[in-house]
Amino acid sequence: MRRTLLCIFVIAFAAGAQETVAPTAGERVGSVRGENTGDYNVVQSWEFGYRYASVGGNQGEYRSDVNYHDGFRLLGSSFTVNSKDGKGRWFDEIVLTTQGLGNDPYESATLRVQKNRWYRYDLLWRQNDYFNPGLTVANGAHIEDTTYSWQDHDLTLLPQNWYRIRAGYSRTGQNGPALTSQQIFNAQGTVYPIFRDIKQQYNEFRLGGDILLKGFRLTVQHRWEYFKEDTTDNQAIAVQGAAPQVLSSFYRAQPYRGTTPGWMGNLYFERRWIAVNGRVSYANTKGNFGQNETAMGQDRFGNSQNQQVIVIGNGDRPVLTADLNETLFPEGKFSIVNNSSVANTRMDGNNFFEQFNNANFLFSTINFQLLNIRLVTNAADLRYRFSKRLNIFAGFRFAERRIQSVEDSTVPGSPYFGVTAQQANHTDAGVAGVNWLPLKTLRVHLEGEVGRNDNPFTPVSLRNYHAIRSKIQYRRKTVTLGGGYQENYNNNSIQITAYSSHARTYSADASWNVRSWVSVDASYTRLHLDTLGGIDYFAGAPAQQLTGTSIYISNIHAANLGLRFALSKRADLYAGYNITKDTGDGRTTQSTDPFYNAQTFPLTYQSPLFRLSVRITEKLRYNVGYQYYGYNEQFGLFSTYENFHANTGYTSLLWSF
Amino acid sequence: MHISTFMKRLALILLALPFAATAQPPNKFVGSQVCKTCHPDIWLNFYKNPHFKSIASAKEAEDKTGCEGCHGAGGNHVAAGGGKTTIPRSFTLMSTDRALETCLACHSKDMSRANVRRSSHTEADVVCSNCHSIHKAATPKFLLAKHQTELCYTCHASIRAQFEMPVKHRVNEGVVQCTDCHNPHGSFNSATPTGSSAALVTTALDNEQPCLKCHIDKRGPFVYEHASVRVEGCAGCHMPHGSTNAKLLRRPVTFTLCLECHNGAGTFGRQNNGVFAQSASHNMLDPKYQKCTLCHVRIHGSNADATFLR
Repeated sequence: MRRTLLCIFVIAFAAGAQETVAPTAGERVGSVRGENTGDYNVVQSWEFGYRYASVGGNQGEYRSDVNYHDGFRLLGSSFTVNSKDGKGRWFDEIVLTTQGLGNDPYESATLRVQKNRWYRYDLLWRQNDYFNPGLTVANGAHIEDTTYSWQDHDLTLLPQNWYRIRAGYSRTGQNGPALTSQQIFNAQGTVYPIFRDIKQQYNEFRLGGDILLKGFRLTVQHRWEYFKEDTTDNQAIAVQGAAPQVLSSFYRAQPYRGTTPGWMGNLYFERRWIAVNGRVSYANTKGNFGQNETAMGQDRFGNSQNQQVIVIGNGDRPVLTADLNETLFPEGKFSIVNNSSVANTRMDGNNFFEQFNNANFLFSTINFQLLNIRLVTNAADLRYRFSKRLNIFAGFRFAERRIQSVEDSTVPGSPYFGVTAQQANHTDAGVAGVNWLPLKTLRVHLEGEVGRNDNPFTPVSLRNYHAIRSKIQYRRKTVTLGGGYQENYNNNSIQITAYSSHARTYSADASWNVRSWVSVDASYTRLHLDTLGGIDYFAGAPAQQLTGTSIYISNIHAANLGLRFALSKRADLYAGYNITKDTGDGRTTQSTDPFYNAQTFPLTYQSPLFRLSVRITEKLRYNVGYQYYGYNEQFGLFSTYENFHANTGYTSLLWSF
Repeated sequence: MHISTFMKRLALILLALPFAATAQPPNKFVGSQVCKTCHPDIWLNFYKNPHFKSIASAKEAEDKTGCEGCHGAGGNHVAAGGGKTTIPRSFTLMSTDRALETCLACHSKDMSRANVRRSSHTEADVVCSNCHSIHKAATPKFLLAKHQTELCYTCHASIRAQFEMPVKHRVNEGVVQCTDCHNPHGSFNSATPTGSSAALVTTALDNEQPCLKCHIDKRGPFVYEHASVRVEGCAGCHMPHGSTNAKLLRRPVTFTLCLECHNGAGTFGRQNNGVFAQSASHNMLDPKYQKCTLCHVRIHGSNADATFLR
């Protein structure tokens, strides 16, 4: 009964987005209309502060999940300039926003500058300190401590004209130290952790334009992508494996250079009862690589080893895509949408592989591989609107996918005798749904889908499946209540695999602005997944081939609650609580079966927070916040527990004018 | 009657006189300056609105500029002394598909909205005015009714739960956005696979999944492709939003994830003879072999080794 009451409470007061504690969000200072300077209006706000973090337990998991640390920050800022008559000399609008500048792990900045009729420029810059211990994947041998950075620049010239020119540049990079692993000298040998210096960069340039003429819009874009990787793997000191194995040195360089020139053309036109969009794109990626790997040490029999591997080769991937999308609306209540698509992706590559052991040539191979995927799809949807409050839709999806494969390996000078294969699979699916407003304030959406695939590519792919998606939302002036149910079921059973997957998601949320000075947001979600798969493996010594089932049950309950108070127009208080709890399959003790152990991972992850913002003057606020993070695993996989708790917070001044 | 109300009505009557002389239909355009008389709160900051461009240019036809560009001719509204029902295009009274078509009259010119009519949002009757607030926007760019993450969470509560898990893409932290991977206006993505697959996912010109925009080292092409990655996509092994498992994996450990496909059964795989089962040299009782990627480090694709060992 208590549980039921608790559930009802949580559902009834269910939650807004759980914000991170800083920067201060939602509380405003000063006049939102800003200051007038000449023909421009300027609004700005800057929040400077100090962030602190105190962490106990597993630092690696904390850095992987949260990663905030001490230091001064420009926690957030916004700066806008608008011309009041829309006829500024050089610009009519500048919008600049930033977050976390000054070494927060999550930093971003956006900039828009535009002059009406002449140009529009957008910049999005982001940087993320990425740390991942990957313990349960590789027992600490795959740590990454890198920085991801992104920047996107887009410039549109003559944005309101009948022809427009678009140019853009994007850059993505990952850099930093990491660990990888390598099993060396023998197939049964020790796996050594290897230091890795990650250096990857991707650059993309775009140039194109639109022409709008007599109801037709033609868009053309040319794109050039460049990818380069200069990551090196290095082990300069001796590492002892299971005696007598030793890896005394290891070095690997594997430079890669890839280019992708591509074209895209899109034609759109619309008339009173029809809209048609057609697109064709072609991109051809070419990658060239080399690899040089040297390793010295002793193998598992105690023999000295000096191994070198040299690989060189290239890969190609031409991709051709064409889409045609037609929408017919012959009269107001009825519409038909049809989409046809063809995509062909061909990946082929070859390499020349040479291995030397103790300076003696061991073997050399030439490889040729091909994977060709052709996909033809069609989707047709019919919609009928009975009234403003009720409409229904139904559709049919069809897909034909053909996969060609060649796998070949041979010695130099010999002809290829590759293994070639081809297969096709066919998917048919039907969808139907209804959108209904039984009351002006109540909205209901329900849709279902049933599909069949005659030859799925993997044992976990969709074969016989259905999906249900439903939502209900009640919205009145100060109250929003919502609920949803979603189900995905797939059965791909054949002998041994007997695979089935059943995912159900239940959600409820509520938002209530009780008074002008108090509001409540809450949500509850339950994600329930159970899968059953057939597996085939070897175990024991001597190894025996065994078949069995892999059962995975995940029962995740997630809830959050947010309360916002405005105290005498002087202070704003936000208090929130967020919890994610996986109850697993209900076991409280570990089984002796290693497969069974691995299938459940109950844990609790919770984070209460509060934030207080106090108005000091018309333009200045003082803010303070605290957020606790607690991560607690109930089952330590491979006897590894990564539990941590962290007390984080910040104090800041927000200056707006 | 309050004096200001009286003055407003008087002003409206005076403004309406020229229109009252003619019959109600056809409705006449009155210009934004007339609207300003009763809606000064909207007009006061309207120069910050992207739609102000049409007024500033002063070159657009009267049915494509200012208030009446979206709401239709205001003659009858003025003559009636206000009221939503006299506005030809009042977005709170319109059916959703009419609201969509009204916005698309101008905004279909952008290619990113080319698939809006077949998008799952449109099918669910979610149209422009559900997410965008033209007069009370929370963001100066795109005029969103709330900040992007909060806006999407309004309907997608279960997705919010995934982004609050310990392992997740940093959406709540503000460094990743929903629109990095999804186009809410409909994507060019073809119609299959369907069912549990993600909706509105954006793809690059070469049909790459949005994951590869950031995870650049997984792009390839590789001499040895992990075929299921290319055929079924990243979501075959990973939960893209959030997970309780390391590396956003669908299982807590790798060996069960791998073995569910690599069981040698049926006609699956590249050669129609099952996805090959593991080697007899792998004793699965040994923890070393339970962490498949400890040795198969290049699991997304390799240029040197067919079994992704280097």
